[in-house]
Amino acid sequence: MTVRHHPDETLLLGHAAGGLDSAMSLVVATHLSFCSQCRADVALLERGGAALLDDLAPAALAGDALARTLARLDTAYALPAVPASNDNTPAPLRAFLGRDLSGVHWRKMGPQLGYVNLVRRGPLALRLLRGAPGSDVGRHSHRGMEYTLVLRGGFSDETGSYGPGDFQTASPDVTHNPVADHGEDCINLAVTTERLVFDGMVQRVVGRLFGF
Amino acid sequence: MPPAEQWNRLLQRVAQTRDRAAFGLLFEHFAPRIKSYLMRLGTPPGQAEDLAQEAMLTLWRKSALFDPARASASTWMFTIARNLRIDAIRKERRPRFELDDPTLALDPEPDADAGLEMQDSQSALRQALRVLPPDQNEIVMQFYFSDKPHSQIAADLGIPLGTVKSRLRLAMARLRAAMGETP
Repeated sequence: MTVRHHPDETLLLGHAAGGLDSAMSLVVATHLSFCSQCRADVALLERGGAALLDDLAPAALAGDALARTLARLDTAYALPAVPASNDNTPAPLRAFLGRDLSGVHWRKMGPQLGYVNLVRRGPLALRLLRGAPGSDVGRHSHRGMEYTLVLRGGFSDETGSYGPGDFQTASPDVTHNPVADHGEDCINLAVTTERLVFDGMVQRVVGRLFGF
Repeated sequence: MPPAEQWNRLLQRVAQTRDRAAFGLLFEHFAPRIKSYLMRLGTPPGQAEDLAQEAMLTLWRKSALFDPARASASTWMFTIARNLRIDAIRKERRPRFELDDPTLALDPEPDADAGLEMQDSQSALRQALRVLPPDQNEIVMQFYFSDKPHSQIAADLGIPLGTVKSRLRLAMARLRAAMGETP
């Protein structure tokens, strides 16, 4: 499996440095599960962070800081258990969902499409999207950014074709109509920073109704 | 022994024998720097102090998961401090990327000398960060030491987002080159 479409440097550095929005960070972290090249970049940027941290002038700690921390070493704790996935759901996504991808409850949007809202924060939305083979969501443009990570199957649009692990960035100047590839259902994890703008009247009404 | 290797050894001693003296040495090196890092990011001093202690407690608890072939002790501490800060701000768990995740796409075979190379490259990386051209360095520092979204970084510097991206791309190329990596 070769990943051909990657998050740009602002997203990789934002993720590594810790400033990226948590919903976007989840999509980037899930992409890393598919992509050893971006893992290497993020590892490099985390080492960069460590080098910068090492170079900082130390800040004075409270006089009893070490003593207080030593006194806490023996308090009981349990490392969180990470259950194994039964269907190859990437770990960051599985930890967020609290279950495997095959265990999520899809909401239907017509006969061919399904979705799960994971995060709504103002106009920002993080969702799982599912389309039957050959289905399309309707031609749309964007008021903000749309980041889409393919988890299963694939889709194609005016900008190219995308398979598992591929990360699509659509800025406000992109208008597209993603169509799910034939074969299996296409499942995506997607963040939109603003609402979508559908071309078709029906999609516009349906989109509004479902909060897209 | 180079300092990076020294911290790795101490951390391994904490993991293997619960060595409190080794923990004390790690604490004295890392805790004041973590506090400093958090304050640079705008964390109030009291909370930065608490989080620095919390980071060291996390080191003690998770030390068995430390693997020097994957990341140095400094890098490991950076990621712990970064994650604790995010958790504290957002009161929600950061999506954690687990290196032992069995679903990961395969990495190329690790090099037998990876640990050794990593140390040489750590100082090369530090040097590469120091000598970035000022316009690239400015942006990289904003990413590490401010909590702004990248659109805000661009707005504050008065440059288009596309310029932020292109400068970062150039900076990444320099860092990769310093590590002997081809993009």
